[in-house]
Amino acid sequence: MPELAKFRKDAWEAFEQSGLPTTRQEEWKYTSLARIGSTLGETWWTAAAPASLADSDIEALAVPGLDAWRIVFANGRLLQGATKLPDGASLTPLSELLADNEQQAAKALGWEADAPLFNAAIAANSALAEDGLCLCLADGVKLDKPIYMLHIAVGKGASHLRHGLWLGRQAEAHVIEHYAGVNEEPGLTHAVTLVHLGEGAQLNHDRLQDESLKQFHLGRLDVSQSRDSNLTSHAIALGASLSRLDIAVSLAEAGASCRLNGLYMPTGRQHCDHHTQIDHRAPHCTSREHYRGVLDGRAHGVFNGKVIVHKGASGTDSAQSNANLLLSDKAEIDAKPELVIHHDDVKAAHGCTVGQLDDKQLFYLKTRGISDEEARQMLTFAFADTVLTGISLMPLRRFIEKAAFSKLPLGMDAEAMLG
Amino acid sequence: MLKIENLHASVDGKKILKGINLTVKPGEVHAIMGPNGSGKSTLSNVIAGRDGYEVTAGSVSFHGQDLLAMQPEERAWAGVFLAFQYPVEIPGVNNVYLLKAGLNARRRHQGLEELDAMEFMQLVREKAKMVGLDPAFLSRGVNEGFSGGEKKRNEIFQMAVLEPSLAILDETDSGLDIDALRVVAGGVNKLRAADRSVVMVTHYQRLLDYIEPDLVHVLVDGRILKTGDRNLALELEKRGYDWVREEAHA
Repeated sequence: MPELAKFRKDAWEAFEQSGLPTTRQEEWKYTSLARIGSTLGETWWTAAAPASLADSDIEALAVPGLDAWRIVFANGRLLQGATKLPDGASLTPLSELLADNEQQAAKALGWEADAPLFNAAIAANSALAEDGLCLCLADGVKLDKPIYMLHIAVGKGASHLRHGLWLGRQAEAHVIEHYAGVNEEPGLTHAVTLVHLGEGAQLNHDRLQDESLKQFHLGRLDVSQSRDSNLTSHAIALGASLSRLDIAVSLAEAGASCRLNGLYMPTGRQHCDHHTQIDHRAPHCTSREHYRGVLDGRAHGVFNGKVIVHKGASGTDSAQSNANLLLSDKAEIDAKPELVIHHDDVKAAHGCTVGQLDDKQLFYLKTRGISDEEARQMLTFAFADTVLTGISLMPLRRFIEKAAFSKLPLGMDAEAMLG
Repeated sequence: MLKIENLHASVDGKKILKGINLTVKPGEVHAIMGPNGSGKSTLSNVIAGRDGYEVTAGSVSFHGQDLLAMQPEERAWAGVFLAFQYPVEIPGVNNVYLLKAGLNARRRHQGLEELDAMEFMQLVREKAKMVGLDPAFLSRGVNEGFSGGEKKRNEIFQMAVLEPSLAILDETDSGLDIDALRVVAGGVNKLRAADRSVVMVTHYQRLLDYIEPDLVHVLVDGRILKTGDRNLALELEKRGYDWVREEAHA
């Protein structure tokens, strides 16, 4: 049996044995995936039927005004976007690689025989992913436009996606993953992105999850970084009934740095979980992490930020902060920063807050003639926007700001507020 | 315009104001001076409507309306403005946006048309020039990263844009160097008008060198013990506050 096929078969068997993670596992303590099975049925992983979408449907969901190479996936399958990139860069749909070049598919997507299976959820993805995107940049190749991947879920069933971003030495790219959908029926998006950054490579990665409130979303971003490489990540979660995103960054060689920013805004009965792990494995690496949450209604948020400083990682410089705003007394957040240090001579700080709006700021705004409700909305938005101001592409930032704004309790004029 | 009668107020059960009487007529500038802890800031906060101040007796009326029954934003719509002693920083809320929202809310309540973006920007530029505020500050978050002096100047700038009929300046001079004080005072003077009153709460008489008050009140232990003209401030500067207390008890 060819190696890739065997790997996928093994992955499936591993998954079958363990099933999805349960709340008995520490990493999944606050997030029960039982609802996926009870809502979607026993074979919840069954792939959604291929969907065709009219251009107008796509435009209605896409970020407008974005000058980017756009790739569209519908229900986990490539729909649009055979894009020709500059020399030294290739963008190949996984479905194509699986048919023509299994070896390359295996390499770009971490499907080598000895690859860890991570956990059962990833194993299922390894076994089931049918499509995705393999971006390979040769040494020194710098893309002058971002790559914009729009994923649309339509109808019931599951979308299993696997992306691989492979950046050679000194290569540079900006990749946007946008998960959208207006599903009336419950579905599952399961998307795993593996990233390798070569020496001195730079990746700007924006991930926007704004799926329909019927959708379940499981996501993972797994990054390994070589010497002096740099990752900037924004993870924004607004949609889905239940979502879980794992981000794991391995600072594997000296001088690597990463910046992880995130915003989650669950409302109603949404459940939204972010688990991040940064491994400082080499000397003189830097990590910065800033996650914020705004929770309303009966929403439940989970944030777990783990930073591990391994033996030998001298000169580590790490700072993490997580701030949460609870707009309702029925909303809940389980926030846990975790710092594990196995080496002296490191600089590591973390802070975590859970609170309500600041009374002094509220009073100040009201004395200027702003009504109580409007003042609350302004301050809430300002709290969230602190994360969004880091997004370098203005059309994307504005798009996310408007989407975030529309989740706030009042319909204040976003255009006016954003100027 | 403003009429305070027998005002008593407590904070956390502690009596701070113990019977304030004060009448401010249109166009007048009043200075309220007093030592630390005399109740000056409590008086400002009670007029502006801050939470946590319990009025136990007395009344405050403004243009004949019961001010104490109104929310802080309703007081702003009625024309009351408080320039804060310690203006808060509000990152993420744009200075100009705040003012536009505030001004137009007030105009709506006055039955006036809202200003459009262009009219508003014109007004803002004009007022920024008037108080010597660097236009670069306009697009920043409210007081975000401003120095102490810049914050105070921003308060006066906001007052210039909102054009209140009653402005309370709470220790506006504190933390200002002499140049900044001159600019801030110049801004206040330009805003003096027949239908606009100003109440300056201050510890030092230095501000009064630049903004000439019609009346000076001495607030000690929660009561106004003495009222006089500009010369009273000079006397306080020379002799301190103890003699006022002694005179009152004599």
